[in-house]
Amino acid sequence: MAISNELMKDMYVRMRRIRDFESTAAKLFAEGKVPGFVHLYLGEEAIAPAVCECLRDDDFITSTHRGHGHIIAKGGDLKLMMAELFGRETGYCKGKGGSMHIADRDKGILGANGIVGAGHCISTGAGLSIKLRKTDQVCVCFFGDGSTNQGTFHESLNLASIWKLPIVFVCENNHYGISMSQARHQAIKDVADRAAAYNMPGISVDGNDPLAVYEAAFEAVARARAGKGPTLIECKTYRQHGHFEGDPATYKPKEEQAAWMAKDPLPRFARFLIDNGVMSAEEVEAVDKKVAKEIEDAIAFAEAQPIPSPESSVVDVYSDIVEEVRER
Amino acid sequence: MKMMTYAEGIREGMSIRMRENPNVVLFGEDVGAFGGCFGVSAGMIDEFGPDRVRDTPISEGAIVGCAVGAAATGLRPIAELMFCDFLTVGMDQLVNQAAKMRYMFGGKISMPMVLRMPAGAGTGAAAQHSQSLEAWVTHVPGLKVVYPSTAEDALGLMLSAIDDDNPVVYFENKLLMGVKSEVKSLEPIPLGKGRIVREGGDLSIITYGRQVFDALKAAEELAKEGIEAEVVDLRSLYPLDTELMEQSISKTHKAIVFTEEVKRGGYGGELSAIIGEEMFDYLDAPVARIGALNTPVPFAPNLEQYYMPNEKDVIAAARKMF
Amino acid sequence: MASIGIIANPASGKDIRRLVSYATIIDNNEKVNICQRIVLAAQELGIDECVFMPETFMIGPKVADNLENDGVMKARINVLDFEIDASMQDTVTAAGIMEEMGVGCIVVLGGDGTSRAAAKAIKRTPLISVSTGTNNVYPALMEGTVAGMAAAAVTHMPEPYSCCIHDKRIELRVNGELRDIALIDAVVSSDFFAGARAIWDPSRIERIVVSRCHPATIGFSAIPGAYRIIGDADPCGFAVTLKQGGEKVLASIAAGVLTEVEISDPKLLMLGEPYGFTAEQRCMIALDGEREVAVAPGDRVVMTVTADGPWRVLPKKALEEAQRLGMYRR
Repeated sequence: MAISNELMKDMYVRMRRIRDFESTAAKLFAEGKVPGFVHLYLGEEAIAPAVCECLRDDDFITSTHRGHGHIIAKGGDLKLMMAELFGRETGYCKGKGGSMHIADRDKGILGANGIVGAGHCISTGAGLSIKLRKTDQVCVCFFGDGSTNQGTFHESLNLASIWKLPIVFVCENNHYGISMSQARHQAIKDVADRAAAYNMPGISVDGNDPLAVYEAAFEAVARARAGKGPTLIECKTYRQHGHFEGDPATYKPKEEQAAWMAKDPLPRFARFLIDNGVMSAEEVEAVDKKVAKEIEDAIAFAEAQPIPSPESSVVDVYSDIVEEVRER
Repeated sequence: MKMMTYAEGIREGMSIRMRENPNVVLFGEDVGAFGGCFGVSAGMIDEFGPDRVRDTPISEGAIVGCAVGAAATGLRPIAELMFCDFLTVGMDQLVNQAAKMRYMFGGKISMPMVLRMPAGAGTGAAAQHSQSLEAWVTHVPGLKVVYPSTAEDALGLMLSAIDDDNPVVYFENKLLMGVKSEVKSLEPIPLGKGRIVREGGDLSIITYGRQVFDALKAAEELAKEGIEAEVVDLRSLYPLDTELMEQSISKTHKAIVFTEEVKRGGYGGELSAIIGEEMFDYLDAPVARIGALNTPVPFAPNLEQYYMPNEKDVIAAARKMF
Repeated sequence: MASIGIIANPASGKDIRRLVSYATIIDNNEKVNICQRIVLAAQELGIDECVFMPETFMIGPKVADNLENDGVMKARINVLDFEIDASMQDTVTAAGIMEEMGVGCIVVLGGDGTSRAAAKAIKRTPLISVSTGTNNVYPALMEGTVAGMAAAAVTHMPEPYSCCIHDKRIELRVNGELRDIALIDAVVSSDFFAGARAIWDPSRIERIVVSRCHPATIGFSAIPGAYRIIGDADPCGFAVTLKQGGEKVLASIAAGVLTEVEISDPKLLMLGEPYGFTAEQRCMIALDGEREVAVAPGDRVVMTVTADGPWRVLPKKALEEAQRLGMYRR
C-alpha cells in the first residue's frame, strides 16, 4: 500500500510527542512532582501512533494502565494530561483519575484502565453499540501480553467474533507481565496464535516499526469498518523502563535490554525518514524542538493550575447525587 | 389497573422503554428465545428481534463489561446475570469499571446501564444460586441499587433505572416472579423513594424485596396481640429513603431491620447503623436486625427453610420490644 | 554417527496475509508436534542425532522434553548454541553450521522465506522443506513422519542426490554486488519500506522474475504461471512486467485470492542471462514474498536465474529408493 510522506511525518510527530511526554513524566516522577503510579510507554511508541493514523475522531479506543501513548496518539490534549498527572483541578479528570484513568469521550478515548484485561470487555460494548447504532465506527482495544492470560481476553475475543463486532484487538507484546517474562507467563510465543481459537485473523508484526504496524492496522480497520469482524494484531515490542516508574527492572537481562534498545523505534524511524528523503535531518530536528516546546508548555500549564478543592471530591460519583462532605 | 406478575412487571418496564428508544437493548445468557432463566424476557425477542434481545455466551465478565462499553458509547443497555451469585465472575466490570468511570474521568462520561440480578433463596438451588448479595453492591460508590417487591414497583423502578445516567443494579427476587399484584400506574418510580406498605403506630419494620410479604404476615400476627406494625418497603437501597425511615421511626419509636441476606456484614447492618446514628433519639428499644444464618445457603429443603429468616423471627423480635 | 538438522521457524505463518487473504494458520505448538513426528520417524530409521536451530519458542528443547516424558526418545537432541537475534539470520547461521557439521539432511519448517534463508547458507546438504508458512511455492505440504523418514533415508544413502532436484535460484545484484537470492520469485514493488514485510497488493508490483512458475502455485509467481509454465528442471526462468494495457490474466496471488492482473514484456531468461533495469525511484525488491532489499533511484538492479540453488529432496522418491535399498527390512 502507499503511505504518503505526510502521513509518515505525522506518525513521527506523534511518536516524538509520546517519547518526550513519557521521558518528562519519568523525570517529574523522580523529582516527586507526580504522585502515584506511572506506567510509561517508552519503547512502544511505534504502535499507537501507527494504529491511530487509521482512526477517525469518532472511533473509539480502550486503553491500559500504560495509556499515555494511546491517549496522545488518539489526539489527547497534552496540557490536560499533564495537569491530571499533577493532580490539578483542570486536568482531564479534575484530579480524580491520575495517570491510569485519563479519558476523553469527545476523542473516543474510553479511558486508560488500572485493571489489566478490563478494556477487552469494554471494547465489546463499544463494538456492540456501533453495530446496533449502525454506524461505521470502529473500536481499537489496546492491551499487553500480560492481559492475554485474563479470562476477559478470551471472553471478549469470543464475543467479538460471534457477533462480528468492529473491533481491532492490538496486543502490544512488550514481553513482560510486570516482572514475569512472556516465556514464563504463557506457553506460546506469538499472542497472534490465540486468534485461531476465536476464528479471527491473527497476525504478528514488528511493533517497533510504525510502517509495519500501520499496514496491518490499516487492513484490520478497513475490515472492521466494512462489517467483516474483528482482528487480532500482535505488535512485538519492548518496555524500555520497569513496569512502573521506580521499578528497577532487575529481572530484565542486560543483553535483552541492549538488543531492544538497538531497535528503539524513535531513532530507527527518524533514520528511515532521513535516509529515504521523507524528511531532512533539519526537519526532524525542527519537529523535535517543536514537540519539546509543547511538553514544556504542558508542564508550565499544569504547574499553574489550581489543586482541586476538597469538596470537589464528593461530586461526579453520580450524575445527580452529591455525596456528603467531611466536616473538618 | 391491571393484574401482573412480578416478572411481567419487569418485562413491561423493559418493553415500554425499548419501544420508545432503539438504543435500549437487553442482553444476557438465554434471554432470547429461551426467555430468560425465570421467563422474565419471554416473548421479547419476538417483539424486538435478536439484535436487541440478545443471547450472550456464558461469559459474565464480558456481559457486564459489554454493558459498560455500550453505555459509554451511546446505548442504554440492560444486562442480565442469570443469578446474582454469578456477579463474582463479572465483579471487576461492575465495581472497578461501571461504578467508577464517571468519577475517575472527572464526570465526563455517562454510564446509563441496568444490571438485572435475580436473587434470593427458597428454590432449593443451594449455595451458589441462592444468595442475596445486595451488600456487595450497596457498598460501592457509583452504583445505584433497587430491589422491587411488587409488579408495579418492578415496572416503575425499571423505567427509572433505564432512564438513569448511572449504573443501576436491579435485584429481582426469584420467589416473587410468579406473584401477581395490581399495577395501577405505568409511570416511573423515582429511585430513592420507599413506600409504606402497611401503616402502624407501634413498630417500624424496615425491609425490601420478598421480606415485605413476611413482614406483612408478621404484622397481621402482631396486630392480634395489639401491636400495630408499620411495614416500610425501601424499594431503593441506594439512594436510600432515610426520610421515610425517619418519618416512620419517629412515630413508632421501634425498628426492626429485616433482610434475607446473611446477617454478618449485610446491608441490614448499614440500615441499623443509620438508624442508630441518625434516629437514636426516637428509639425506645435497640434496633433489631434480622437476616439469614451466617452460613452458605444449604440445599435440603428443611435446612434451607431453617437458614432463611421469616415472619416468626420478626414476631419474636417484636415481642421482645414490648 | 548419523545426524539430521531441523530448522523450525517460530515466526512463520503469522504475517499479514492472514488478514488480507485466507492464508493457513499453523501455531507454534503444532510446529513442535511436527518436529516430534520428524524426530520419531528419523530415529527409527537409524538417525542418532537431531540438530535443532535455537529460537525463541524453544521448539528443540520442547521436543526433547515431550518425547523424554513419553519415554520414546532414542536419538539425541542437540540444540545449537549460538546467540540468536530472532530474525531470518538465525536460519542462515544454523543452516551454515549444520552443513559444516556434516548432517545428512536439513529439514526446514517454515514458508518460502525460511527455505530461502536456509538456501543462502548451504551448498551440498539435501534440503527438505515442510510448509508451515503461508501457502507456499517452495516448501511442500508434507506429513512430518514422511519428512523424518525421507531425511533419514537420504542420510544413509550412498547417492543422496539421486533422490533430489538441484533447484534453480535467482541472484539479485545491485550495482554489481550480490545482495541476496530468491528461490522462486523476485518482485519489484513500488513501496520503499519493508512494512509488514509480506507483499500482497498487485497494484504496487512493477516486475516479477521467477525461477519457475505454474498456475498451481500461490503467490506472485502465479502471475507468470498463468501465462506460461516453467518447470523446476527447465534450464530457464521467466520475467514479466505489470502495467496497464498488458495482457489480462487471472492468478492466485494469495491464498483464496484470485486477481486479474495485466502483464507485459514476457521474457524467457536462460540460466545465467542477466535481467536488469535502472531504478527510477525508491523501491523494494521482495524475495520469495517478503520485502527485503531497498533500491534507490539510479541503482542498477540485475537479476539472474542460475542453477546454484539447493538440493531439494523428493520425499516420495527417497522413500521408494529406501525400500529398494532394504532400509525398512527388519
